[in-house]
Amino acid sequence: MERRKALQSLAVAVGGLVSLPGWASSWNRAGIPSGQSFLAPNADALLAEVVEVIIPTTDTPGAKALGVHTFIQKIVTDCMEPSAQESLTKGLTAVEALAQKTYSKSFASLDAAQKTELLKTVSQSTEPDQKGFFSMVKGMTIQGYMTSEYVMNNITHYEFVPGRYHGCVPVVAKNSTSKNQQNK
Amino acid sequence: MANFAIDAVKATTYDAIVIGSGISGGWAAKELTEKGLRTLVLERGRDVKHVVDYPTTMLNTWEMEHRGQLPLGIRQENPIVGKCYAFHEASAHFFVKDAEHPYVQEKPFDWIRGYQVGGKSLLWARQTQRWSQFDFDGPARDGFAVEWPIGYADIAPWYSHVEKFAGITGNKDGLAQLPDGEFLPPHEWNCVEKYFSQQMAAKYKDRPVIMGRAAHITQPQPIHLQQGRAKCQHRNICVRGCPFGGYFSSNASTLPWAAKTGKLTLRPHSVVHSIIYDEKKGKATGVRVIDANTKEMIEFYARIIFVNAAAMNTNLVLLNSTSNRFPNGLGNDSGVLGKYVAFHNYRAGISGEYDGFLDSTTEGRRPNGPYIPRFRNVFKQETDFLRGYAAGFSANRMSRTNQDGFGVDLKNSLANPTLGGWSVNSHMMGETIPKVTNFVALDKDLKDPFGIPQIRFSVAYDDNDDKMVKDYQEQMMEMFTAAGFKNLRVRDENRNPGIDIHEMGGVRMGKDPKTSMLNKWSQLHHCKNVFVTDGASMTSTSTQNPSLTYMALTARAADYAVKEMKKMNL
Repeated sequence: MERRKALQSLAVAVGGLVSLPGWASSWNRAGIPSGQSFLAPNADALLAEVVEVIIPTTDTPGAKALGVHTFIQKIVTDCMEPSAQESLTKGLTAVEALAQKTYSKSFASLDAAQKTELLKTVSQSTEPDQKGFFSMVKGMTIQGYMTSEYVMNNITHYEFVPGRYHGCVPVVAKNSTSKNQQNK
Repeated sequence: MANFAIDAVKATTYDAIVIGSGISGGWAAKELTEKGLRTLVLERGRDVKHVVDYPTTMLNTWEMEHRGQLPLGIRQENPIVGKCYAFHEASAHFFVKDAEHPYVQEKPFDWIRGYQVGGKSLLWARQTQRWSQFDFDGPARDGFAVEWPIGYADIAPWYSHVEKFAGITGNKDGLAQLPDGEFLPPHEWNCVEKYFSQQMAAKYKDRPVIMGRAAHITQPQPIHLQQGRAKCQHRNICVRGCPFGGYFSSNASTLPWAAKTGKLTLRPHSVVHSIIYDEKKGKATGVRVIDANTKEMIEFYARIIFVNAAAMNTNLVLLNSTSNRFPNGLGNDSGVLGKYVAFHNYRAGISGEYDGFLDSTTEGRRPNGPYIPRFRNVFKQETDFLRGYAAGFSANRMSRTNQDGFGVDLKNSLANPTLGGWSVNSHMMGETIPKVTNFVALDKDLKDPFGIPQIRFSVAYDDNDDKMVKDYQEQMMEMFTAAGFKNLRVRDENRNPGIDIHEMGGVRMGKDPKTSMLNKWSQLHHCKNVFVTDGASMTSTSTQNPSLTYMALTARAADYAVKEMKKMNL
């Protein structure tokens, strides 16, 4: 047994990282819960529309498809002061009210240009609540998007196990990585 | 019935008991079992088996419930441990929460603890520098604390012994003030760090900037492979526990090694109440333990006892071990037990930017960084404060993302960060002077959840520390300026003692039993079969990260203890 362990270690050591040996991946996956919403279904759907305007689907998935609205609710519920839940709920209500007032339509049924225009209004609002709502949602949308599986794997190419540190490498002109979407 | 009682005693009798399974307790377990002693290791927390009990070690960011953030409730309930840089969603399970083990702060002290098998060896920053003779000479030369009973020559072979087994990366720099060790290949510099090192070498005779020495396997040797450990994979998420065993911990290294001897009994959930002293025999005979699950008090017996409970808890155990012979704590005839506590001053830092080497960047990650050994008052006293400070240093190429607006433009910006200049950073690691006024004691009334007296902290900075902060800021400002770094910002975080997690002393070594607790073999002067080889035993702190010295002191004391047992002196 010990010899086997040693040989596995040796394989990792000599060959660089090929794949994790069995003994290195036998951790316990239990206890990783799925996301959680506190908003009512209609507000949840509205938040999904809002984050999608902030980071829309292009040739790669946008914030809605990546579940960023669920992430935001999880963070707001668990990690922020209770007042943040109120800000989020109130802000969404204001967005919907503004859509009704401006276009006599629900936010979800606006076209892309109208949605953008409306969120621009909210972001530039002199009303502190609306402005605060937008900057909070935008900040968390960026965070949720950048830490999503899709983005870390396909856009920013995060290396979980780099296996190396090179201190002085030439800066190379960055290829556009956003076209790499085989894993979509 | 008589036979029954004898059998019960036999079943709970070992050759040696080790209190604590952290970085020094693990070494005691390894050395004692290898030398054939049936050894009981008592750990107050739960078991943590290498790899299988590292629940977050393979989690990607998106697989964590809050992607690394801690819930508000946990932060609010833990104002103390919440200050620790390493306490986050992926590591919180390895830290003691504030409510689990309350203590009294006569003066603010952030006490950071890890109660599980492996202790804080899972969580440490892994920097491992040897002390030099200049460090051991400190108290005697500068007239504070008491003279160390050992010098570099006493501990050097034991540094080698533990370094080879643990696996230490480093460069042989040939410095008198920071002796070389048994090094695996060093980590790489980046361009700006190398440049800074060269600039400092050109400008100063006495301020070398070297690559850090750290407990990471950069090139596994047979001894590491025999432990089932592999090369460090540069993930730089060490506090989650390393599935490769790439860095040294009790869990990856010493404890499994001890278990292989067949001589180890590891008992988690065992909160040590006190050490049993037998007045007739004139020595310690065992340990009283409260089972954390059943709350039952159990006794275990052994010929020798190693106390490696972590510095302040070692003080607590000895202070709570009272008897007719030792009413003020085990071995405490001198009255110095709990006193002369010291720590490392991490208050100050400096950051800046450098606009050179814009055609270069870094690739991968490095769980280590450059180090500036102490250059103040090393060979002689030359400033208006005693002792000095070492410093960490690092440079990083910054990445910038334009986060203006929203929509497709924002999405494109996020996918295309631009490289900024280099950021440069340093932080101080200052020696503090042990003083009788910096102490821990038992509270007379307050008890912890196990009914054990709470520990009171009365530990603070002094004028010497303030002067050292100022000098660090001035000197680093001068050095960074000389290197052409810009936008320099010095800081004094005014953080509390304790958050450096380098608390030491209270059970100091010394030559004179009247002024110290331990002799040169880490034995209690007045109770020779009890050894203390963790941070509690430190007479002074110097500036090195302390764990390597605890490991070496432990291996040295274990060797001595077994020889004395064979001579029937113990």
